[in-house]
Amino acid sequence: MTTATSPAVHTANERRRTGSIAWHVGALVVLAVVLYPVIWVVGAAFKPSKDIIASLDLLPTKPVWENFSGLADGISGISISSFFVNSLTYALLAVVGVVLSSSLTAYAFTKIRFAGRNLMFTLMIGTLLLPYHVLLIPQYVMFRNLELVDTLVPLVAGKFLATEAFFVFLMVQFMRGLPRELDEAAKLDGCGHLRTYWSIVLPLCRPALITSAIFTFINAWNDFMGPLIYLNTPSKYTVSLGLMMFRDQEGIANYGGMIAMSLVALVPVIAFFMAFQRYLIDGMATSGLK
Amino acid sequence: MGDNMSVERRTVLKAVGASLTTLGLAATTGCGGGSGSGDGTVTIRYAWWGGEPRAIAIKKTIALFEKKFPKIKVKPEFTDYEAFWEKFQTQASGGNPPDVFQNSVTFLRKYDKRGVLMDLKTQADAGNLSLDNFRNGVLSAGQADGKQLGIPVGANTMALVIDLKAFEKAGVKPKFGWTWDEYFDALQTIQDKLKIAGDTGYFSIMYLYDLYLRQNGKAFYTDSDLGFTEDDLTQWWEDGYKRVRSGLVADPKKIEQVKPKSGLSAGLAASEFTWDNFSIRYEGEGESDYGLAPIPTTDGKDTGQYLGSLMLSAFTGTKHPKEVAQFIDFMTHDPEVGKIMGYDRGILATSEQYEAFTPTDDNNKGVKAYEEEVAAAGVLGKITPHPSGADVIEAAFLRIGGEVAQGKTKPADAAKALFSEAKAAFAG
Repeated sequence: MTTATSPAVHTANERRRTGSIAWHVGALVVLAVVLYPVIWVVGAAFKPSKDIIASLDLLPTKPVWENFSGLADGISGISISSFFVNSLTYALLAVVGVVLSSSLTAYAFTKIRFAGRNLMFTLMIGTLLLPYHVLLIPQYVMFRNLELVDTLVPLVAGKFLATEAFFVFLMVQFMRGLPRELDEAAKLDGCGHLRTYWSIVLPLCRPALITSAIFTFINAWNDFMGPLIYLNTPSKYTVSLGLMMFRDQEGIANYGGMIAMSLVALVPVIAFFMAFQRYLIDGMATSGLK
Repeated sequence: MGDNMSVERRTVLKAVGASLTTLGLAATTGCGGGSGSGDGTVTIRYAWWGGEPRAIAIKKTIALFEKKFPKIKVKPEFTDYEAFWEKFQTQASGGNPPDVFQNSVTFLRKYDKRGVLMDLKTQADAGNLSLDNFRNGVLSAGQADGKQLGIPVGANTMALVIDLKAFEKAGVKPKFGWTWDEYFDALQTIQDKLKIAGDTGYFSIMYLYDLYLRQNGKAFYTDSDLGFTEDDLTQWWEDGYKRVRSGLVADPKKIEQVKPKSGLSAGLAASEFTWDNFSIRYEGEGESDYGLAPIPTTDGKDTGQYLGSLMLSAFTGTKHPKEVAQFIDFMTHDPEVGKIMGYDRGILATSEQYEAFTPTDDNNKGVKAYEEEVAAAGVLGKITPHPSGADVIEAAFLRIGGEVAQGKTKPADAAKALFSEAKAAFAG
């Protein structure tokens, strides 16, 4: 490097550095905006109930534990843990149902040729266009006649019958990308469809299965309308319904308890995501097909 | 090819079988329903909306009832107001509403029209339920079109909640029979002396406009329509908007910012109109002291007030009409129940319960004194039953009134919009 060029390199480096600093500062600002509500919730969980709607401070001036210790007493005579057990049962059943039924259906749509396949596939995609509210009352009447209201069945039955068209579609798209040679080889080795599905296709679909599982878990965990309509007994309520119990339009709402509980309610979702996103990346890397 | 197809079909069938088995497994984890009745015990479902104190109190009263009527089991179902009605709508359409449920005036005709509500007069005639001893004619709050669609559990009436300290500092004193002019003069004094607004937005409250109309010989509703003209409403909202601009009514943007806290407890304004039994929230939210003041009048006497009410209604298709009626009777007349519930759902509606409960805290004492004063003044009139769709109109009135306050909609256009929304609501 000659002395003549050195200042130019210097300024170029400097420019790059200021650019990089500006980029980082910008990113941090965006991050702060995105994280603000989360920090607010965490802060509010440690404020006395009255301060939550009164003070504009992000963090509590004097942190208190009463919101969390109050949760131990339950709400309206129902223990908080029962909401969590109910939500977990619902969410896990939903995950199992969606993963099994959607992948099986997707296998049929991609690997088996049968009459009316394309029509049925189109119809299935068409169900995505049906608004939830159109189905609500007919479905309710059906489950009432089966005397299944106030159980988890109406909430998870559809999931076991591959009615989640989006996930079926997702898996169909994924399976279409798998090389035909693999199931042809399986067929030569004497595998039937179920065996091919279970031993060949399913393991290769891991990324799609995990994506579906994560989304299903989050959807079920956050579902409000379904449990509201179908669950009657308060001790069968899920977390989303339990949170509503802290509200009170005519008296004094327990905002502290509500926020503390919503914070606790985040934990399972984050844990589920953390546990499975590892496999998600793992699955992409090891399948080595794309 | 044909052979191949049949294999595939079998596989598909197997697959269907597999998913059905999993479904069966899932089904067993849910609890089987059914109201067991081997020994003549019946189960009735009782649903309400409300907060935690109400849930705990009601559960106690249910325990009391089950002790007195060992053959009747009561299954409680509860959530908050909005969720309750969302759920109820689906249940009613699906033919599966609870046997007994909390109800209010706004929903009587709506669900009577859909054939959901039992005429409880039939049960009263059968001797399962007493319609006696209801105070100050509150029983009529549960009547519409000659039917008794609900039995009141508590009575409430509109009031003006005021910031006592602010009123005292400004040296203004509300008094019974004061006129609207005197009321707005008082707000002006508060604004001049304390630099805060007088009111939080009176003109978006349907129930208050109803009182104003009643003072002038009209009412918000007739049997099937709105009881006022577009011009009436335009005038009401024009006056309101003028007062927002002059600062007499608090800046709607600020009111929006402090939600869910009320503008009154946030110190933005010195008074707010609401139901007297809702006034407990201000003590919980705000720093000042709060009290109840009389509704302003047009002629110096008549406030146009009536007793509103939360009530218990029954599902017309219930399998146990007699037990349901006995339950409602117990809940509305038993003195012990009155003692447990207190004024949570308004001043107790029957004299048995009213006499059994003596309030000890300031808020309830204030509510009691206020309702006694209103009753003694002889201004309590009869409630106009709301037409079907009133719940939608109440929400529209609040929303459109808010748009007027923010200057987004001109009062004349806003009145037109309300009338067209009301038309749709009545039809629906």
